[in-house]
Parts: sequence; C-alpha cells; structure tokens
Amino acid sequence: MAPTAVSNKLKATHRKQFQELQEAGEKGERERTMTLHRLFPLRLRQTIAQVRLLHGSGCGHQLEEVAMEPELRKETSVFRTQVNDPACQSERHLGQYYTLPTSHLHTIFPHGLPARYQQQVKTFNEGCVMVRQPALELISYLKAADYSKPAVRYLLYGLKGSGKTMSLCHTIHYCSTQGWLVLHIPDAHLWVKNCKELLPSSYHTSRFDQPIEASNWLRNFRTTNERFLSKIKLRQRYTWTKRESTEKGSPLGELVDMGVSRVKSSSDVVGAVLKELRLQAAETEESEGFRLAVAIDGVNSLWGRTTIKKEDKSPVAPEELTLIHNLRKMIDNNWCGGAVIATLSQTGSLYSPSSAYLPKELLGEEGFDSMDPFIPVPVSNYSEKEFESCYLYYLDRHWLQHPHSKTDEGKKEIIFLSNRNPSVLERLCAFL
Amino acid sequence: MAAHTLNIYMLSLGRMHCHIYGRNVHKALNRATYATALSTNNSSPNKGFPDRGSRGPIIRRPRREEGEPRKDRMPVDQDWTAVYPTAAPFRPGSVPLPVRMGFPVKRGVPPEKKGNLELIKIPNFLHLTPTAIKKHCEAMKLFCTEWPSALDTNVKCDEHFPIKIECKDYVSAGTSIRNPSARIVNLRVSICPNYDYAMYLLTVLYHESWKTEAWESEKTVADMEEYSWEDSPSQKNALSTLVRMQIAGEVEGDAVRDKLLGRPEVQEYRESVIRLMNEGESESSILQYREAVKKLLKL
Repeated sequence: MAPTAVSNKLKATHRKQFQELQEAGEKGERERTMTLHRLFPLRLRQTIAQVRLLHGSGCGHQLEEVAMEPELRKETSVFRTQVNDPACQSERHLGQYYTLPTSHLHTIFPHGLPARYQQQVKTFNEGCVMVRQPALELISYLKAADYSKPAVRYLLYGLKGSGKTMSLCHTIHYCSTQGWLVLHIPDAHLWVKNCKELLPSSYHTSRFDQPIEASNWLRNFRTTNERFLSKIKLRQRYTWTKRESTEKGSPLGELVDMGVSRVKSSSDVVGAVLKELRLQAAETEESEGFRLAVAIDGVNSLWGRTTIKKEDKSPVAPEELTLIHNLRKMIDNNWCGGAVIATLSQTGSLYSPSSAYLPKELLGEEGFDSMDPFIPVPVSNYSEKEFESCYLYYLDRHWLQHPHSKTDEGKKEIIFLSNRNPSVLERLCAFL
Repeated sequence: MAAHTLNIYMLSLGRMHCHIYGRNVHKALNRATYATALSTNNSSPNKGFPDRGSRGPIIRRPRREEGEPRKDRMPVDQDWTAVYPTAAPFRPGSVPLPVRMGFPVKRGVPPEKKGNLELIKIPNFLHLTPTAIKKHCEAMKLFCTEWPSALDTNVKCDEHFPIKIECKDYVSAGTSIRNPSARIVNLRVSICPNYDYAMYLLTVLYHESWKTEAWESEKTVADMEEYSWEDSPSQKNALSTLVRMQIAGEVEGDAVRDKLLGRPEVQEYRESVIRLMNEGESESSILQYREAVKKLLKL
C-alpha cells in the first residue's frame, strides 16, 4: 500500500483522533507522545511508525524512529526494525528483530538454521532474527578487514543456547547480501558420528569417504551459491575414473553436479571444490574474484574423537576422514580473500563434558594450535533490553497464550525460570 | 569411634524399627508358623520334585532341620566379641537387630535382613565395638613400653623428634570406603637447632638438581611443568601469519624473524597465550587474548 493511501485510510477512520494528535503535536513533542499513547493501541502505533519510515526509508532515517518515541521505550519498546539489510544495521538496532526475506530463507539457509528456529519460522510465517552485539561485532570486523592479507579466523563461543548458531546465521546473511561465496557447514558434528556408509577412499588409501554426507552437502551448496557455479572455472583437471574426468576450464557447476549424481566420489568432489575455492578466492575483485566465507558450526568436532568404527572395531581418527581432512585445510590461514567464521558447540560434540563452553576446553590442544591466532567472540544470554524485545515479539505473535504470562508477575517468573537464556526461554514460552 | 557411633545409631534404628515394623514382622512370623502348621506333608522324601518316572526317584540325603538362629538365644549382657571376634560378613542370624536395607519396591518397605545381599556386600564394623577395642588395647599393652617421662612437653618432643608424620583418616558416607584424601601423608620437618646441617643438605640438593641426567634429555612437551612460548606451535603460527601479512619485499631469514618477535604486539600476544596456557581459561584471559590478537592482526 502506498503511504498516502494508508494515511488516507487512517484519517478516514480516525479523523477526529488524528486531528487531536496533530494539535497535540503542535504543542510539543511530549504532548504528542502522550496523546499517541492514549489514542492508539500498540498495533496502530507500529503502523504509524511504519508509515513514517516508508516516507524516509533507508539506513539514514532510522533516527526519526528512535527520536519519536523516547518515552515509549520504557513501556512498549520498539522491537522490530525495518532495516533488513545486515550491512546497514548498527548499534541503534541492538535488541530489535529484523525480518529475513523469504527468498533468502530458501536460498541462503537450506540447511543452516537450527531445527527449532525452522519450526518457529513455519509457525510464525516469517523469519525474524534479533540484532545482537556479537553478530554486529563480527560484521564490523568483516567490514574492516583487509582481504589481501591471510584469512582471519573468528570463533563464536558461549554457554549452551546463548545464540551462537543464530549469530553465525546473521553473519552469513550479511556475507550473502554482500555477494560473497558462502561455504556453510551446518553441523560438523554430523560428519563424525552415525555414519551409515563408510567407504575406503580411492584417492588416498588410508582415508575414508562418507558419500551420503558429502552428497547432501553438495546439494545444499549448489542451492546456496547458484550464481557462482557458472562463473568459477576450474584450474586443474580432475580424473575420477579411467573414463571420467572433469577438464580444466569447465565451470564449477559441472563438478558439483557430478558430485551429486555420482555419490561414490562425492567426498573427493568436496575436496576438489574446497581446493579450487581456496585458490581462487585470493584474486582481486576486478578479475572476477570473490570473497569466500567459510562458516562452520561445531568446529570442535574436527579435532575431537569420532564414534565411527572401522570393520575391525577400531575407532577412526578424525584426520582419517576425507571430509574432515579437507575442511582442516580450509581453516588454515594460508589463503587470502575471505574469512573463517566458526562456532563452538558442546551440544552435538562427543566425549566432552556438558559444562564445557570455553574455547580451549572444547577445541583441545590440537584444535587450539590449528586455530591460533583467532579472534574469540563471546555470546552471552539476553540482556534486559534483548529479553524485553523477545518477550514483546512473542506477545505480538500471540505465542504467549497463558493469561498470567502477560502480567508483570508472569514476566518476572519467566525471567527467573529461563535466566534469560534464549533457547530455554523459547522452549518455556512454547508451553505457555 | 566410628564403630561406637555406628552402634548407637544401629540401636536407635533398631528401636525405631521395632516400633514401626515390629508388628509386621510378628505378623509375618505368625503367618509363617500358621502356614507350616497347615501344610500337607508329602510321603515322598523329595519335596517339590516331580516324579521322575522310569528313571526312579533321586536319592538325596534328607535335609536336616535348621536350628533356632543364634540371635534368639542371645542374652542381653552377652559377650559380643565372641559373636564377631574378627571382621566377618554380616550374618542375619547372628545380629539381633531388625535391620532393613534396599530399595522399597512398589511403595513398600526396604527388604528385611534375611537373605539380604546388600547387607552382606557392604563392609561392617561389628567387630570393632568399644569393648572389642578395649580388649585389643589390653592385649597390645604387653608389647608396649612406658612413655619416657622426660618427654612431657611438646617442645621437648619437637626437639628430639623433629620429623613428624601425619596420617589422616576420614569417615564419610559414600559409595566407596576409600577416601583419596586419606592417602596424603604429611611429613613435617621443623628447622632444627642444627641450622648449618640443614643448609648443607639444601646446598647439596641444589647442586644435585643442576646435574642433568641422561634421561632428562628425553623430556617431551607433555612433561613440561609450564608452558613456554618459544618453539611452540603458537609462536610458529603467529610468525607465519605475520610473514604472510607482510607482502613481498621482506626477505625471509632470521633477522626478519627476530624483528617480528621484538614487536610490542607480538610480545603482548605471547603474554596472553602464556597466561591462557598456564592459568587455564577464564573469561578475562580469553578477552585479553582477544585484544592481543586484534592488535596483532591489525583489526
């Protein structure tokens, strides 16, 4: 709806109220906000806010929104922002939810979002992500980094359920909207456990292939990075069998398609894809270069133990798996033109105590030495303001049905029970 | 002392149990006697075993009747050390207490002591009652000598016997009778009047420690008590990162390496890594590491 049409409609239905508002506005800012309070319920106030924003949309005019409602912040703080582009978000938007466009949801995150969040997206019919400090910090580093230097490694760490994966997804959204090539491994723990099929690698005798996991990942990779598949050309000839090979100069898409269709050699295809991207990311923008973002969730599984066993029941070490071996090469900072963003995760990890969340505990000696020097980014539970936002968002979506949850008492109870931990809060509110 | 307290506890438990469960026990007993009185006596000596047909009945020695359990014949002022002279497993027939132990199945009560494996498994101190310990002491006195009358104050004891050995014993409730802290034995040495001898000993030890043995050269990184940043993977990583960051122009070599190592941000990074490794992780050490890495990578 065009802005004028909306305001016309509003005027038609609430002409008198609007006149009163305008008169109050002439008296002063405070009068206007108080009248605003009195006359319009929350929903309409937001519509008015949106109308105003439509008049002056874009990054620069967010000040208007903030300046308009300083009094309201205490009681009904604005928890949504219209700035859906992560590049334009700043500290002003801390604690506010922005909406992920549906098209992006399907292309960028075919496999990246946490399971419960995906269910929430389906229920609410929209994907809203909160702008939080760790993600903003990461994005600022990415903006400021020099991409002719070796890739910088960032590590998100924090307590269980504090929002590491969501921050990672926020950063990936930023990278994607900026035109980077995103290599997203949604959960590296899945590659070191419950492997149904383990084939000995044809390329290297002592290693093992995981065809199912590799082909799944290639399929999702293809969905995410469609536009790059035809642009990037291979630098080397890859021979798969005596009769099959991929020639030098053929597009990356061909390689990926081959990996998806020929499941047996998919792990080697993954290795080849990673190598090509690593070599080609170093080029500058002019000569059709691109920036590479390697996003790994649960990076501590690369140096831990696996529960996969060989036929003689001896355990398989992580480096004996082709996928893990190739991924470790990506984490090394001997390539330039991109960044490695990783999250630590205790939830899916094997043989680690459930209270562990600090980097060195979960990475281990070997992992720390491989990642060193990296920038650790802590992710903590919600702050008071963020909790407010989340609470208001759930109220707005009519997720909190219990009448007691809408009172102050109920809110205090919720704070006490969840300790402002995002995932605990989400699970708690699902019952209410 | 432990045995003493155990005894009191068991007695009070016994009294409590008699009060609560006594009636049930009696009822059960009554029922038992009633049942046996009414049971039919089969003519065949092999009670409960069905007729074996053509093979014929198995000849078994007839089982003799159980006598009355010992506890029923115990006078109140008996000599307990005769019942349990040494450490022995729990015998339900010899312990006159109505003890119960085990998980109450189906909201019932803990099972009784008769045939209770739980009571047999656990260690008991029934052989260490105060009377038993007194008897031990009496017996050991034959082998003891008088305490030297000259050693009547602590000061004199310290003077003649400067080395003291402390053993600690622990009593606690838990799954295991062993307490790992009890293994620590303290050896105390106070500086004796012969100060010179003590200094001589220390000097000798000091010089001995300087001598490197042949096997000391096999010390690996894992044996090191403290983390040293030199020649660690961390140092190598940092240097290689910095070298890669310097775009071509600088020639590789020891001079470049030393120059890089001398930079303040590298020193800061080194400090933070050493702190992280030696002190362990904490929020503050991780934040310090973060600041150091940011400066190193010029973010």
